[in-house]
Amino acid sequence: MYIIVEDDPSVADALESLLSGAGLPVRVFASAEEFIHSSSLTSEDTMIVDLGLPGMSGGELVRHLEKAGATPKVIAISGKSSRTIARETEGLSDLKILRKPPAADWLEAITA
Amino acid sequence: MGELEDRRTAVSEARFESLLDTAADGVIVIDETGRMLVFNKICERLFGYSSAEAIGQNVSLIMPPEFSVSHDRFMNNYHRTGEKRIIGIGREVSGMHRDGSVFPLELSVGEAKTADGRQYIGVLRDLRSRRAVEQRVSQLQAQVVHMTRLSAMDEMGAAMAHELNQPLTALLLYLQAVARQIKTCFADNKPPSDKMLGVLDKAVQEAERASHIVQRMRQMVEKRDPERATIDLREVVNEALDLSEFVAQGATVTIRRVFGMTPIHVDADATQIQQIILNLLRNALEVAKESEERWVKVSIGADDRSAFVSVTDSGPGFSEDVSKSLFKTFSTTKKSGMGLGLAISRAIAQNHGGDLMADPGGNGQGATFTLMLPMHHLDETEDDTWG
Ligand SMILES: Nc1ncnc2c1ncn2[C@@H]1O[C@H](COP(=O)(O)OP(=O)(O)O)[C@@H](O)[C@H]1O
Ligand SMILES: [Mg+2]
Repeated sequence: MYIIVEDDPSVADALESLLSGAGLPVRVFASAEEFIHSSSLTSEDTMIVDLGLPGMSGGELVRHLEKAGATPKVIAISGKSSRTIARETEGLSDLKILRKPPAADWLEAITA
Repeated sequence: MGELEDRRTAVSEARFESLLDTAADGVIVIDETGRMLVFNKICERLFGYSSAEAIGQNVSLIMPPEFSVSHDRFMNNYHRTGEKRIIGIGREVSGMHRDGSVFPLELSVGEAKTADGRQYIGVLRDLRSRRAVEQRVSQLQAQVVHMTRLSAMDEMGAAMAHELNQPLTALLLYLQAVARQIKTCFADNKPPSDKMLGVLDKAVQEAERASHIVQRMRQMVEKRDPERATIDLREVVNEALDLSEFVAQGATVTIRRVFGMTPIHVDADATQIQQIILNLLRNALEVAKESEERWVKVSIGADDRSAFVSVTDSGPGFSEDVSKSLFKTFSTTKKSGMGLGLAISRAIAQNHGGDLMADPGGNGQGATFTLMLPMHHLDETEDDTWG
């Protein structure tokens, strides 16, 4: 399952179109809290998370999941500067980062 | 007899000297050729030369270069015609310190006919402190307006980049989705589905969302009708420089003002012109700060048709690469730059029928940015209302 956590509805919808258009199973959440309350992860899942979420940030969500022992494949997306991204993802291992706006095909990057 | 006279002269000279040195104002005496004969203590402090260094030199030593030319002309003119431009009148002039910094002075001139020919006595009062107080009072209000506008511009830039990012991301992802599906359709020999049209529609919406953001910004810069008035460019620029000096209190970069004596009238929105100057100044100060000489020069000039304000700095200039994209929005070489200053400044200048030009400098020369504005012209209808 591909799990999208993104607060901007257009970006979330576009990402969903891209993934489901390729026949992949997708679920969308608008916030970290919404995801935590209604779902959990298996090791087969891939999570695509916006770093700049309102409330619990993307970085905190990933940290929260790591603490809970669930370490799915995580792809972080962000429109911020590389310095800000580095700060927000400090201490997180093995994180792929995609920057907004996309400079290349995101489906390939996500499924690679 | 003669001895007594000599002694009297000596006494009165000594008294004169001590009087000069306790004077609160700068005192300079020059002869007909402009040579300095007296240069008191206050002058030493004002201009950074000792009296021994100054005496015997031409008074142009302590004037900005463009003044010294007209000074010679004024003196010649006065000798020829007797027409008084300054004697007995007093006026505000610019002085130049040894370090090259230029500052405002109030100058009163008296004339004395001596056995050695005509001499002129100049009394100089430093206007910086008086000006500073006046400015603080009268400009605090203006500052608030300026600063909020400026920071609004910076914030707007940051917010805009962020806002544009979302629709652009969505737009590109929708297009990637459609492109993939069309490819699959071709591969499977199937016609494209309605769904794809739906995705394309959404892509268009996102493009529109992006263009609305750009339009909103453009409205702030261009569409707002400038509040035009006939203004003296020197005053408006002066105010902007004072403002930035006030804001950058304690900064170590010297701002040299090279202004002429005559008003330069243009039809413009003073606040917008100040915005341009502040943008240019901000860029210049940033590079000058890192340079060895640490100065920024702002000069104003005009020909029959156009008025110019040039901002030059002691920085390194910029490369050809940079010059290609200099005026484009979001082109910046700075870590925290927005790349909006020059783009917005040029838009404002062109909106006034003028332009903003850049000389890259290099090889030890700093960059020069020149704002050009059309000169104010009295047209006939205006003549009527005057007549
Ligand atoms: N005085 C200057 N000397 C050298 N380079 C300059 C100067 N002024 C501007 N530039 C160059 O032009 C670029 C664009 O300037 P600007 O539009 O004001 O945006 P910003 O200051 O946010 O970078 C700067 O990043 C810098 O590379
Ligand atoms: Mg700038």
